Amino acid sequence: MSAATEAAEPLVCVEDVHTYYGKSHILHGVSLTVGTGEVVGLLGRNGVGKSTTLKTIMGLVQPSRGAVLFAGKRITGTPPHKLARLGIGYVPEDRRIFRLLTVTENLRTGLDRHGVTEERRKTLLDKVFTYFPVLAERRGQAGGTLSGGEQQMLAIARAMMLEPRIILLDEPTEGLMPRMVAQIRNIIDVLHGERVSILLVEQNVPLTLEASQRVYILEKGCVRHHCAASAIDVNDPLIKQYLGV
Amino acid sequence: MATIVQFLHSIPIDLLIIQTVNGVVTGMILALVASGLTLIFGIMDVVNFAHGELFMLGAYMGVIAFAMTGNFWLALALSALILAIFGAALQIVTLRPLIGRDPLNTILATFGISLVLQNYALWQFGPVARKISEPIGAEFTLFYLQYPWYRIVIALLSGAIIGAVWLFLKFNKYGVWVRATTQDRVMAQAMGIPVPLVYTGVFALGAAMAAVSGVLFAPFGGVDSQMGLQWVLEAFIVVVVGGMGNLGGSIVAAIFISLLEAYAAVWLDPSQAVIVSFVVLILTLLFRPTGLFAAPK
Repeated sequence: MSAATEAAEPLVCVEDVHTYYGKSHILHGVSLTVGTGEVVGLLGRNGVGKSTTLKTIMGLVQPSRGAVLFAGKRITGTPPHKLARLGIGYVPEDRRIFRLLTVTENLRTGLDRHGVTEERRKTLLDKVFTYFPVLAERRGQAGGTLSGGEQQMLAIARAMMLEPRIILLDEPTEGLMPRMVAQIRNIIDVLHGERVSILLVEQNVPLTLEASQRVYILEKGCVRHHCAASAIDVNDPLIKQYLGV
Repeated sequence: MATIVQFLHSIPIDLLIIQTVNGVVTGMILALVASGLTLIFGIMDVVNFAHGELFMLGAYMGVIAFAMTGNFWLALALSALILAIFGAALQIVTLRPLIGRDPLNTILATFGISLVLQNYALWQFGPVARKISEPIGAEFTLFYLQYPWYRIVIALLSGAIIGAVWLFLKFNKYGVWVRATTQDRVMAQAMGIPVPLVYTGVFALGAAMAAVSGVLFAPFGGVDSQMGLQWVLEAFIVVVVGGMGNLGGSIVAAIFISLLEAYAAVWLDPSQAVIVSFVVLILTLLFRPTGLFAAPK
């Protein structure tokens, strides 16, 4: 374990969180931190609780025990829409594009906040249209008619409209063509460059190790390992043990 | 062949035209009632059995406001405003605590509300129907009939209100919120949309639409505590036939069913003509349970 890379002032702090879906106990005391501007990877097999961890941070599921802190304040129990306005962006695994809304309207859901000037709107839209030119081409098209990769870009762009301090990214490259994966990888670096924190859940281990500073490995709802991304590689026995098939 | 020609000759064209006008006029009021109902269902997943009582209370508020102000159109606006506030309060007190529960809970809740409101109205306003006169007395000649302009005005006004709601949903910031919430309430929350507030707003809007249709209809039939029942039944048929939660579908279905009933009344007794809408309902449920005009999923 290397604690040397631990961020000095964590932006998000998950403390001993236990989460249930009905009677099934999904998270058994998960603790992790994400520093300001840090990219943190969350690895593990299917069903170990990675997505549930993100949902718990976003307030979409309530932990039965433990707490989530955001910028030092306890946010457990705060409704999701308030968390979004505090600066948590969420890109779910299944993308959850508003299928009957156009690309522009999907982006508007994040832009129509209090205190966003006309100028700021334009800057934000220009930014995502620069990184994802295909969204600019399709801006009048319904979200449901986009390809999987385009929907993924829209989901990320939509979260960026909130000007979040952290983005929770759930399997952004799942099922995408290599060219699209490269584009997603690129936007992670761009966001990192802007000091936006990212909590990245991924099955793609090489990409996660490349893009993140630190990684956590989850198994059966517990953090089993935690280290700097540079301290581990794809062939590490730990990776085989916790992620190998 | 000869029988068909004979039948075609026996169709009274003038009567058909009159019934077309009647059907469209009734259809537009029905569409206004049904669009409030379908809006509430589509967005909140609440089957609002109290919608007819909101229609009825709206009509009463119209009567009272008319008695006070003497101006029908002002009474109409006041009634819409009062019912919007009442609807918001009703949603906050009775439906908001039930969010996330089984739909059966909200069905029972709205059914309970409808009984309470009906009996309240009976107790408060008595069993005798109140009258309100048509604000526009002018008539025009339609074949052998003197047809009141007011009916045409109602149809146009209903169309205008539905159009305004559509424009609101399409272009307004809050309209986008409403549509996003309809499609995925969890993701809408994650995008910072205050979903509980959207629900309250939509319920208030639905109540105001019910109130407006109640006031507009009041000059025809009089206002009593039972007047909501017949309309809400028809409105439910329209909502199912048009596709639950589908605003456009409801409007088309409202006009479609009202026209069918109006044409059926040419040959049948008007009380039997109502059967036509039930036949359409049953056929829809059998062959297109998602509605005749279901939106693509």
